[in-house]
Amino acid sequence: MTGHIVPKKVYYLIFLTLMVMTAITTAVAFVDLGRFNIVVAMAIAIFKASLVVLFFMHVHYSTKLTKMIVAAGVFWLAIMLLMTMSDLLTRGWMGVPGR
Amino acid sequence: MQPKQLSFLPDQASSIAGSVDGLYAFLVLVTAFFSLLIAFLVVFFAVKYRRRSDDEFPQPIHGSLLLEIVWSVIPLGISMVIFGWGASIFFKESRPPADSLEIYVTGKQWMWKLQHMEGQREMNELHIPVNRNIKLTMTSEDVIHDFFVPAFRTKADVVPGRYTTEWFRPTKVGQYHIFCAEYCGTRHSGMIGTVYVMEPSQYEAWLTGGGAQGTMAQKGEALFQQLACVNCHLTDGHGRCPNLVGVFGSDVKLKGGATVKADAAYVRESILNPQAKIVDGYENIMPTFQGLVTEDGVLELIEYVKSIGAKDAANSGTTGGSTTGAPAAVPTSKGPPPISPTQTLPSTAKPAAGSMK
Amino acid sequence: MITATEPVVAPKTYLNAEYGAKSWLLTKDHKRIALLYLVSVTLFFFLGGIMAVLIRIELATPAGDLVQSNTYNKLFTMHGILMIFFFLIPSIPAVLGNFLVPLMIGAKDLAFPRINLLSWYIYVIGGFFTLYVLFTGGVDTGWTFYTPFSTTYSNTYVTATAIGIFIVGFSSILTGLNFIVTIHRMRAPGMTWFRLPLFIWAHYATSVIQILGTPVIAVTILLLALERGFHIGFFDPAQGGDPVLFQHLFWFYSHPAVYIMILPAMGVTSEIITTFSRKAPFGYSFIAMSSVAIAVFGFLVWGHHLFVSSQSVYAGMVFSVLSYLVAIPSAIKVFNWTATMYKGSISLNTPMLYAIGFIGLFTIGGLTGLFLAALGMDVHLTDTYFVVAHFHYIMVGGAIMGYLGGLHFWWPKITGKMYPENWARVSAIVIFLGFNLTFFPQFILGYLGMPRRYHVYPPEFQVYNVLSSAGATVLGAGYLLPFIYFFWSLKYGKPAGPNPWNAAGLEWQTQSPPLPENFVITPVVTEEAHTFSHREGVEVG
Repeated sequence: MTGHIVPKKVYYLIFLTLMVMTAITTAVAFVDLGRFNIVVAMAIAIFKASLVVLFFMHVHYSTKLTKMIVAAGVFWLAIMLLMTMSDLLTRGWMGVPGR
Repeated sequence: MQPKQLSFLPDQASSIAGSVDGLYAFLVLVTAFFSLLIAFLVVFFAVKYRRRSDDEFPQPIHGSLLLEIVWSVIPLGISMVIFGWGASIFFKESRPPADSLEIYVTGKQWMWKLQHMEGQREMNELHIPVNRNIKLTMTSEDVIHDFFVPAFRTKADVVPGRYTTEWFRPTKVGQYHIFCAEYCGTRHSGMIGTVYVMEPSQYEAWLTGGGAQGTMAQKGEALFQQLACVNCHLTDGHGRCPNLVGVFGSDVKLKGGATVKADAAYVRESILNPQAKIVDGYENIMPTFQGLVTEDGVLELIEYVKSIGAKDAANSGTTGGSTTGAPAAVPTSKGPPPISPTQTLPSTAKPAAGSMK
Repeated sequence: MITATEPVVAPKTYLNAEYGAKSWLLTKDHKRIALLYLVSVTLFFFLGGIMAVLIRIELATPAGDLVQSNTYNKLFTMHGILMIFFFLIPSIPAVLGNFLVPLMIGAKDLAFPRINLLSWYIYVIGGFFTLYVLFTGGVDTGWTFYTPFSTTYSNTYVTATAIGIFIVGFSSILTGLNFIVTIHRMRAPGMTWFRLPLFIWAHYATSVIQILGTPVIAVTILLLALERGFHIGFFDPAQGGDPVLFQHLFWFYSHPAVYIMILPAMGVTSEIITTFSRKAPFGYSFIAMSSVAIAVFGFLVWGHHLFVSSQSVYAGMVFSVLSYLVAIPSAIKVFNWTATMYKGSISLNTPMLYAIGFIGLFTIGGLTGLFLAALGMDVHLTDTYFVVAHFHYIMVGGAIMGYLGGLHFWWPKITGKMYPENWARVSAIVIFLGFNLTFFPQFILGYLGMPRRYHVYPPEFQVYNVLSSAGATVLGAGYLLPFIYFFWSLKYGKPAGPNPWNAAGLEWQTQSPPLPENFVITPVVTEEAHTFSHREGVEVG
């Protein structure tokens, strides 16, 4: 593999950030933010996942094709979530149970 | 009334059956036309342009944008017609008319249990009057089932943990199959029953001859006593739990500010999973009745709560949703309402909650 | 037609380059791995076929007289699991695709030969789990594993089955990954994207579905196992879950999975129609792009399996209209294949018979899909035999016709031997007739209201069931024929020569069977795909 060589410093920095974010997640869990509980938790999780994909998995240093394929994966995940939610969120609209 | 051996259509015994068969006929024609067209062209080409010598190398034809557009747009147009037609039937099937006769269905491995409002219970049989709108409110005690009557051209899944709805208007007196159409385990194919569509007079005779012990609401009231619900859900508003008079069909204010429509699903959840939604001003003290009350019992309790609920909602059935402006209607219900029911009810009961500690 | 140049000394081929079990089990040659897959999918096909025969015998009478209800339920469950996960999904991609993708684009092998071998081993391990379940007691959830039946109520080997399917999914992902990288990176000089054979386009689209969809079924089945084993509530309402969520996740993969089966068969059909019409495809780019369109739109329609499942009416509307959009690219393909035959030079060899059969059966299968996508119509038809007939027209009438057509078409390339043409034509016709006799009556049964997965049924349904069972006998005999004469041809078949069909692809420009390294020198592509002319059929180099 002719992979890009990433300086160790970057790995340590990312690792540190991930740990800090984990600590924040834990800390926030003790604060009741009402309906923002889930928003904050998901935002932190997505940020952490992005760091892993971009740096640990080297997507940041990869070709456009690789980036496109990663984007396609995210796009498909969005399709799955959005269209499943399209069912969940419209279930009460008809006013008829189960419709 | 059973279908003959070599028929192509099941009995047409509901108001919707004719329109479903109409769409079916159209689809059969479309399918036959395109299948035969393609089959004819393929066979015709295979014969007409058969290879006559091994040295033949025909001129390639690389395509035609016009043809591609034609044979994309025509199928698209036809399929949009089918979509609209199918969707309009589906909308009709999804909206039970307000004057429907309500019947409750509980699916269980591997039988159908049905309850009439008048209190009659049936097992794998359903007696209904002809030319009346019938609305089924269905749930399951275990796995997913599906209540399917081919002669009525309708079915709906019967899902544990929630209520689903199916309606039809039988138009022909007779006996028709009920099938469970969603695979549900060992004796799935034995989970069948019969619908008896009767003349109204016969139906009345059947209802009175059934030996039912009280209506569903009355049975629910008895259960309400028996399960000791009545000890906390006092009707004077000073109980440890909300007064239930006038609640059904209204908007209930919850702890945390949200409101919820008090429909069948809400009542069911409040019985089986009471901590899910706490009424504003009350404590989370109610134990779950999961395992203590059957799905049939829950349906009877719902009927009871409905019978003491907001008047409009009681008339329109479990949906509550089809009632317009239900919360505004202040009912004069059977029970003695000492305080104003509907939305304001929980907040007026605040002191009672405080005294709990 | 056959240029029978008698070989003086047996030339070196991928088959005789090495000998011994080790040379097969540790091979990195895509052609040998294709044959490993061929043997294993054939085994599962016949196992699944035996179940189908038992099911049809049972249904010949309305009473449950051959097997118990539990056994019947295990039979149709195993039939579905074996046929879908262990036969149809790997059939064309892992056998024909593995063999042909590198040959067709002028490459020496797939991009990752070791991963290719790994994918076969993963397939075998997944297969062992399933065989273990089969021989120790079976599973009775149906191949759809609907919750909460599968997670809470079934007393059979659900978890072991789930693990088997979880594992075999990775073999599918790895094959897809390998194809995508190979098609991107290893095309011969001059092989531009729009010179790719249509078979390659179909496999590219299939691979996209495999790598984007399969992880979802893997995770879903894992959640199912967690709920069953550790009572973590995802789907069971008694544990706070949502049973309809399972159906969403399951069909997010399992609907596109149908396109994993049918797209490669469409690719095969495109190759056969052009070759036996000796004519470039009508509307090459439309056929190619419709494969991609099917792969993409195929992911947007899964909710049409949930119209009666208490999914919201509005979501149902969206899924219904999107389902019609995915029908258009399929229609485009059928019209273009038909137009390709216009003014061609058509010879009705066995592969062409299969391809014509494919067009006919796929057309009926596709058009009956219009019934099921129409909301009001689907309410009556879903979960009846109409659905069973519809998807068998697509999966058996479509995918297996394509697979058998492709197997006959490339058999001379794979083995270097010709199969017996007359026997093969007979079998193609028997299969076509037997298929229609088996499954056409099921459309009528479905409209009459006979639910699927019924062990016993009311007697008024018997006539059509007897017709269907009779057809299954014919169909079964039809499938046995190729099995016999393919074996026969290995020893007695006439030598095929490099290009018995005067076909156009690069795979026909090397010897039959090919060299271990496919080509002596890398071919250079100078013309469009499917350009037919007098060819000498001499190896490149």
